[in-house]
Amino acid sequence: MILDIKERLGKTKYDIDKSYAHITVDDRICEKCPHHFCVMACPAQCYTMQDGKLNFQYEDCVECGTCSIACDQGSVKWNFPKAGKGVIYKYG
Amino acid sequence: MLKIAVMIKQVPDSQDISIDPVTKTLNRSMARNVVNPPDVNATEAAIQLKDKYGGEITVITMGPPMADTALLQLMGMGADNGVLVTDRVFAGADTWPTGFTLASVADFLGGFDVIFCGEETTDSSTGHVGPGIAEFLGYEQATYVHKVEYENGFLIVVRDIEGAEETIKIGTPAVLTITLNANEPRNPTLKRKIDAYKKGIRLVTNKELRLDPACIGLKGSPTIVKDMKTVPDPIKNPSKPTIEELDKVVSVLIEKGVVK
Amino acid sequence: MSDYDAIVVGAGNAGSAAAITMASKGLSVLLVDRSDPPGTKNLSGGVLWGNDLAKILPKWQSEAPLERFIQDKKIGFLTEKSSIIIDFKTKVFEENKVGHTVLRSKFDPWLAKKAKEAGATVIPGITVESLVKKDGKIIGVEESGDAVTSNVVILAEGINPRLAIEAGLRPPLQDWEVSVGVKEIIKLSPQKIEDRFNLSSTSGLASEYILGNLGELNAGAFFYTNKDSISLGIVAPMERLRENGVTHTYDIIEQFKEHPSIAPLIDGGTVAEYGAHMIPEGGLEMVPQLFGDGYMIVGDSAGFGFSNGLVLQGMNYAFLSGIFAGEAAVEAKSRNDFSSSSLSTYKRKLDNSYVLKDLRTFKDLRKVTNNKSMYTTYPKMLESILLEMLWERGQPKKKVREILGSCAADLNVGKLKTATDFYYMYRRM
Repeated sequence: MILDIKERLGKTKYDIDKSYAHITVDDRICEKCPHHFCVMACPAQCYTMQDGKLNFQYEDCVECGTCSIACDQGSVKWNFPKAGKGVIYKYG
Repeated sequence: MLKIAVMIKQVPDSQDISIDPVTKTLNRSMARNVVNPPDVNATEAAIQLKDKYGGEITVITMGPPMADTALLQLMGMGADNGVLVTDRVFAGADTWPTGFTLASVADFLGGFDVIFCGEETTDSSTGHVGPGIAEFLGYEQATYVHKVEYENGFLIVVRDIEGAEETIKIGTPAVLTITLNANEPRNPTLKRKIDAYKKGIRLVTNKELRLDPACIGLKGSPTIVKDMKTVPDPIKNPSKPTIEELDKVVSVLIEKGVVK
Repeated sequence: MSDYDAIVVGAGNAGSAAAITMASKGLSVLLVDRSDPPGTKNLSGGVLWGNDLAKILPKWQSEAPLERFIQDKKIGFLTEKSSIIIDFKTKVFEENKVGHTVLRSKFDPWLAKKAKEAGATVIPGITVESLVKKDGKIIGVEESGDAVTSNVVILAEGINPRLAIEAGLRPPLQDWEVSVGVKEIIKLSPQKIEDRFNLSSTSGLASEYILGNLGELNAGAFFYTNKDSISLGIVAPMERLRENGVTHTYDIIEQFKEHPSIAPLIDGGTVAEYGAHMIPEGGLEMVPQLFGDGYMIVGDSAGFGFSNGLVLQGMNYAFLSGIFAGEAAVEAKSRNDFSSSSLSTYKRKLDNSYVLKDLRTFKDLRKVTNNKSMYTTYPKMLESILLEMLWERGQPKKKVREILGSCAADLNVGKLKTATDFYYMYRRM
């Protein structure tokens, strides 16, 4: 019953916009970030640390907006996806 | 001015369809309705053709009244008109009467220079309807097309044939079936969607078409489904390869220079 | 001449309620939503109190896609090993049937369809990119370089109000204003749900918990029954998450599911969906300027929500604020004046309703929900008291006063602090 986050995200439906990342991060800012709170805050594990460097992917994003507040360094640029792309809840 | 049609279908989103573990039938109850994906590529191809050579695009579908949202979606991308062919007498059609009915609609609307279709639908995957329309109308046809140019009344199209591409020149009027991912469809815009909503969808029933009831819908369908079987998931319980087998794979890869 | 009387951005509860209110009074309304069908990007805990919905859709109880009516409401504390629950079951709920569990991806498209039936133009699958301003007034919206104009724009964007922030109509959200909600849908057969929770085929259970097993995260949790699934999730304040700094939001929900009193309830179920959403927690302090020349802000975008750890509400505030904004627009249309002063009737209506009255009454509630002892010491204290009182282990019994004293000593809390905490809880809740 207890599932890994990747497995849980696999249950959720997406129509990923391959040509448009609705969230972008500025690597230069992230490099100097003292806390990387985004890694803890993001419920969809879009932010991970790899070899001491922040790695971001938007594909699993559930568009909650948490990272836009979690990031107080001005790195996260947040927009909604276009044309209904992104997460599509079947239950909600 | 090219007169262009796009024949499209609203289908249940294939991501939403599951196989009921008990009845072994398709469970579509949770499925969202979407435009059959290659039909979106077909619409994009039509819009690109219109942008380059001028013309007017009519998107046409045969389906229940709720299929109007599919037409509005494609008009939001840039198609000019939407026609919904809807009548109980068309229900239950297999690919033969579907091709016949859509060809009759094209004829009823005065014929077209180019008719675009998707290569196949995700809910039946026959690829019959496009060629069917062409045959019923007596138009030229090219299937599995991913690139279209127009020159002096001829179409120069690039077809996907297994492992290669084929460039052919065909006359008009013609039916082209467009492959999935042939292009990157543009997003609908708010303004165009509002305009589509204001313009509305033209409804066509068999009152206007006057097709012989024996040739349409379930009655006109020669297909009989005899049996349906659920094939077990092949990924489940794969036998693990032995070390010897893996060694063999590695040695072949080294031999071919793939790994060092 | 504007394209529409009103443009509503967002077809959630607040936006659709506003669109229905205006369209049914003859205004030309454009309702735009970024999902297709409208509402399929929305997510909420899942309990809807529909009193206000009856104002615009009197037959909602028979027409709306509802899951189960709330017959059984539980509130309580979880500690590492125990659960302390108040189980409130009342005929009153059954007679009135205003509280229901809902799944937003079914409910919201229905509500948007009602807006369409009322005469609104409903455009799904479009993300509005910005607001159009002229001489300090909001005069429309922009998308793909095209402007669509209206006399008034109603912003029903939800908890993440990008347009309002970008246009300077409200400041960017701060930690203290939001909690992070994480939710899972667990499939379970109706038979199992009804047997397990002692329900009929239409009645349901809604439980809310204070999680006393997660230290100073000040997290809460919810557990609701749908027809053939369970909605369960956790809610954690952003301030506490940042302070904690080592807990992944996606792990908290699994800890909740693993709790010895929760795990058996979902036994045999399968996860069907995972999602997350922010929740307004800032109370009155986070409510922005609600109206101005050519605009009004409704629902979550306006910060309308109520949560005290044991009660979690927002959809009812969304309906009512949407209806009020709709009414204000209808009145503004009759005066043909969509200026700030004309639209101020929206705020007056809110002032006189439970929406702003609740937020005012409970303006100091955050001091209670922020109190870490509520989530750490007191659940443990309750557990100790109950163990002393209810667990026979062959030792002399103590009076409640003694139990309290020894518990406080064990947990290292001063009597004065406890007394003050309870006094303020009493004052603020």
